Amino acid sequence: MSFDAAISRRTVLGGAAVLAAAGLVAPRAGAQPAAIRLGTLTPLTGAGGSYGPSMRKAMEWVAQEINAAGGVLGHPIRLVSEDDQTNPEAAVRAARKLIDVDKVAAIMGTWASAVTTAVAPLCWESKTFLTTVSGSDTITQLPHQGYLIRTQPNTHLQIGKLAEFLLALKVKRVFTLAAQTPFAVPSHKRLEEILPRGGTEVAGIVVYDKDKTTFRSEIDQALRSKPDMIYLNGYTPDCTVLMKELFKAGYTGGKVAQGYAVNAKLLGSLPREVTDGTYTATPSPAVESAGYKRLARALGTDDLDPYSCQCHDHISLVALAIAHANGEATGTAVRDHVRKISQGNGQKIDSAVEGLKLLGHGKAINYEGASGPCDFTDAGDILDCKIRFDQAQQGKFKFVKMI
Amino acid sequence: MNGRTDVENYLVAMATFACLYALLALGLNLVWGLAGMINLGLVGFFAVGAYVSALATKRGGVPIALGIVAALAVAAVAGAVMALITARLRGDYLAIITLGFSEVVRLVASNEIWLTNGTDGISGIPGPWRGRVSPVAFNVIFLVLAALLVTVVLGVLERVRHSPYGRVLRAIRDDDQVAGVAGKHVLRFKVEAFALSAGVLGVAGALWGHYTSFIAPEVFVPLITIYVVLALTAGGTGNNWGAVLGAFLVVFFMEATRFATGWLPGLGPVQIAALRESLIGLSLLVILRVRPAGLLPERLPRVEPPPAGEAAR
Repeated sequence: MSFDAAISRRTVLGGAAVLAAAGLVAPRAGAQPAAIRLGTLTPLTGAGGSYGPSMRKAMEWVAQEINAAGGVLGHPIRLVSEDDQTNPEAAVRAARKLIDVDKVAAIMGTWASAVTTAVAPLCWESKTFLTTVSGSDTITQLPHQGYLIRTQPNTHLQIGKLAEFLLALKVKRVFTLAAQTPFAVPSHKRLEEILPRGGTEVAGIVVYDKDKTTFRSEIDQALRSKPDMIYLNGYTPDCTVLMKELFKAGYTGGKVAQGYAVNAKLLGSLPREVTDGTYTATPSPAVESAGYKRLARALGTDDLDPYSCQCHDHISLVALAIAHANGEATGTAVRDHVRKISQGNGQKIDSAVEGLKLLGHGKAINYEGASGPCDFTDAGDILDCKIRFDQAQQGKFKFVKMI
Repeated sequence: MNGRTDVENYLVAMATFACLYALLALGLNLVWGLAGMINLGLVGFFAVGAYVSALATKRGGVPIALGIVAALAVAAVAGAVMALITARLRGDYLAIITLGFSEVVRLVASNEIWLTNGTDGISGIPGPWRGRVSPVAFNVIFLVLAALLVTVVLGVLERVRHSPYGRVLRAIRDDDQVAGVAGKHVLRFKVEAFALSAGVLGVAGALWGHYTSFIAPEVFVPLITIYVVLALTAGGTGNNWGAVLGAFLVVFFMEATRFATGWLPGLGPVQIAALRESLIGLSLLVILRVRPAGLLPERLPRVEPPPAGEAAR
């Protein structure tokens, strides 16, 4: 017995020693001095877990394409991926690792607004560039010293176009049912700003807690003001309940919602008579662009989500900015050069590989990505983005128009 | 930049997070390990502390040290109220109520926008000397501060554990009726233990806010409670040193799995992310299988029994 115990203890110790040795040696052996290190911080688990994997895949693909074409001025891109767990606490630890251990020039792809706001101070303090798809208006108002850009249209831009759409429909009274989110109240304020100009009345808003299982009192309150259009500004689970209960309450007016909430899955889970006629607004990637089509082919789908398209553009912009800075792979270089390749009068390009080639020949470029034109304000917001409007008909989405 | 310093900076940051987890585990140990009351709402007290100190320092303009004291006081009062409300509850019922409490705190933080800025959260919370020293120096300063607080709390709680007061808490844990029959005011002890524990959790919350400079309702999810319960169970319920050890182990494990999974061939980052969480759960299972009482099991302070002969006569 004691002999067995001795052997097993020795084996365990030996194993531990090997593991420890591997831990000390492996990272050094694998490191390439000339590689440009970029970090991805996407939600691979948690509430955003359904989006993160494809966002990361899009960035991986761009890195492969760039590396296959000879890298950024000869330097290959090495992508380091971390999971933000859709939680600010976990994201801060992951970002510290990317910044301190991997020494990345940029962190790309943060999704949840709270995660982005938690990670942003780390980035600007350590001069690391941050690119995000979060939509909350407050993000670009942080004192980020230019170390942040986002490709997701903010509330101001998105709701401005929604209001334009509603005015074109000539609706009379709009009521908002909104989940408690950072954009609930700002969205409503933006509607109040534009709709009255075209003679449409903003009847009111109820902000609800999205985890409730019934919304009878909220719906009663909405219907009391007799709206002919209800804006459902929530997420899929609560919008599912809301639409069912609106139908039961006998509401026959129009409904409009965000495309990420009222999606194909929601249409599949509810009867047609409940969903038919509902409009959806979706910030649209540039579906007609060559960049979009190429990425769709690479990822093996013909319907890319906007976040993957935006992430495709994140890494492309960062790589081009580094090339424009003569290969200086630092967050500060990206900050100082990103607007020199994303906007202006240079030659329009839609792929990083093509852009790198042109930069090599000393030409000026203007990157237009898979997600849109990718032109940024000084605060880091995008200047323009197309919003696509669809309508549910017979349980399927039908394209209405693009604004 | 010097590469070596950067990795050290990362290690310093993770040690700081481990200290914060250690404070949480110590707080939980007092109420659960010693007094036997389960508190699955600890992230709620963590949140109360974070919000109190953030608001006091950012809006009220009070010094950070005072903010931390305020966090301690308000969280302790919340804990005392909680203990009074749940005075007659034990076990599962107490677990559910405390879990509910933390959700209520999160909902209040999301909806009382005038106070908490809602789901946008509060950013730009001041930290000691933040901005006046380099980020690396700030990191080190904060680690020293956090380690100091862990030492103080550990010292106080060890004192409690070894004192007659701690003995009463253990008696309540084992059977509160017997403790009551022995003339102890059970409710008073329960309320005091809960309040002190909540105060420690509140301090941890305040530190988290001052360290990361940003808090939002989404930070305070049950996931953190689970990590802390895990830390205490692995370290040794009832043992304060075990709580600290467990907290450091949990943070070490969460971070080490980032690097360990890097060498597994044929796995994409998505599988690795899922595997990381499984590994953390698996390691707890292994610890509990091999050492059911945790790595540092509780050792009761020795009480000398009367000589055998005396008892027989």
